[in-house]
Amino acid sequence: MGRPPVISTAGLTKHYGTVHALTDLTVDVGAGVTGLVGANGAGKSTLIKILLGLLEPTGGHASVLGHDIEHESQDIRRLVGYMPEHDCLPPDVSASDFVVHMARMSGLGASAARERSADVLRHVGLDEERYRPMGGYSTGMKQRAKLAQALAHDPRLVFLDEPTNGLDPAARTDMLRLVQRIGSDFGIAVLVTSHLLGELEQVSDHVIVLDGGHLLRSSATGEFLQRTGSLLVEVVGTETERDRLGEALAQRGLTCRPRGAMVAIDPPPPELAEGGAVHDLIRDVAADLGLGLMRLQPDRHHLEDVFLEGGTRV
Amino acid sequence: MSDLSPGAGRPGVIHDLGYRHFDGVREDTPAIARTLFVTGLRHAYGLGRSGKSKVMPFILLAMSLLPATIVVGVVVLTGLGELPVSYADYTNQTQLLVSLFAASQAPVLFSRDLRHRSIVLYLARPLPAPVFAVVRWLSLTLAIFLFTAIPTVVLFAGAMLSGLDKSDQTTAVLKAVVLQALLAMMIAGVSGLISSVSLRRGFAVVGSVMALIVLTGIVTVMQNIAYYEGDSETVSVGVGLLSPWSLHNGLANAWDAGVATPVPVDGAWVPAYVIVAVLLVAACLLGLVARFRKVGSR
Repeated sequence: MGRPPVISTAGLTKHYGTVHALTDLTVDVGAGVTGLVGANGAGKSTLIKILLGLLEPTGGHASVLGHDIEHESQDIRRLVGYMPEHDCLPPDVSASDFVVHMARMSGLGASAARERSADVLRHVGLDEERYRPMGGYSTGMKQRAKLAQALAHDPRLVFLDEPTNGLDPAARTDMLRLVQRIGSDFGIAVLVTSHLLGELEQVSDHVIVLDGGHLLRSSATGEFLQRTGSLLVEVVGTETERDRLGEALAQRGLTCRPRGAMVAIDPPPPELAEGGAVHDLIRDVAADLGLGLMRLQPDRHHLEDVFLEGGTRV
Repeated sequence: MSDLSPGAGRPGVIHDLGYRHFDGVREDTPAIARTLFVTGLRHAYGLGRSGKSKVMPFILLAMSLLPATIVVGVVVLTGLGELPVSYADYTNQTQLLVSLFAASQAPVLFSRDLRHRSIVLYLARPLPAPVFAVVRWLSLTLAIFLFTAIPTVVLFAGAMLSGLDKSDQTTAVLKAVVLQALLAMMIAGVSGLISSVSLRRGFAVVGSVMALIVLTGIVTVMQNIAYYEGDSETVSVGVGLLSPWSLHNGLANAWDAGVATPVPVDGAWVPAYVIVAVLLVAACLLGLVARFRKVGSR
């Protein structure tokens, strides 16, 4: 993209005694939405705290928005927003008052803080309930209030630590849509963590995968989801029908295996791959067997595969 | 990126309006610290918080003002030649109320953010943890100082109204105010440190009451026993080093500010009292800074 990276780390390491939270992490994060994926304890929160200057790294360097984390952490904290993973809202204050106060703590004047808070609360979708004490909020409303305080001072980068934690599916979708809008419409760079890979597939432009403090992979989301060359076929009926189709296709020289209700066909030999010959073959086999063809689609990689591949690394 | 992108296909939904960036002036760190200081001071009196939280501080303040207004009434009406109680001794006489104020309001400034973990949100902003701790302490110090100084001002106004000697009264009042400032720093340090460690409000209040009220009671009893029963002036004065209130009273006695102690504090005891008072404040501040640093890195 030609623009300098928003976050850049070099050999970043953090050890707590014998526990290695981060090991030699070298990675660049650009504009837009970047997903940071890893199981619990993979080092996601540790990385964010180091970047905020709240934790000192054991070794290595990092810069955020062009500021060095070691010497200019105060400048960094002026320009970034942070939504922590855990509950952090005082129950006896209204979201409106709280977000105003937090905006002031980021250096906004009294009237600017009020104006921005009203704006941001509207964007995250807290309406009338913003005037009620936050102790009575549902988890979804709490997550919105936490997000609002992270955006109140118009940061250039936000760290969102597990923003979908504890949300029901509908609220989860809403939150993810909001995260995506922050990256695209608001023009704020986002580093969002999750242990659910599927979520980040939907919203991120770029994904960084951490495992046990190590960098497993960092690349554009599209690359993770490239076609594998395999095909997935589903027919009407139960497993019996699925297996009949699989066996028939195997006799025609294709390598098949069952996957759920579908048959996964490994990349076909070159003579069949050309001009969709393999698609015709599948259609004909299904027709011969009298099976109703329901779905025929190219298989894609999933973010999960990175972990499966990474598992062999150790 | 577009600043004013229209809501994508859902014009009826209010939060789909465009996002506006903020390009106004951002305050520097001292200005942020000042905002935190003022907010903390207001919160110590329940201002800007729920109606319920104003009850305790203002009842205590009213109770500590009531005797002062009565004294003023008596002095003005009867034309007494002097105040029946010195300024510094008035603070000492109302020590239970002052200690209760500190014990009940310190958790507001030092426990809440830690208990609800909102401290993380503060520390992810420009103010560093040590500055945050010191600013909180300053808020509580000024709140306690005002609590002791307001009755003093009422007494002084009464003294002036009844035509008592202006220069004598001014000297006495200034001494009392200096002592109150030192006292406020000590009490804010002790109750703040206790509140920042014991996050449950109840425990914090009980802890501060133990340290400020019970301990002072024990020290006073020991001072009297040592003097009247044990015949030991040294022990009596020495024990006075153990509590903020006995330090305040000892220094007031040494400075001739009108507070009686079992044994007069003089000679080498005076610098000892000053040093212990300063060390107590410094130790509490160091403890608070260490505490907030530790919490910030979790």
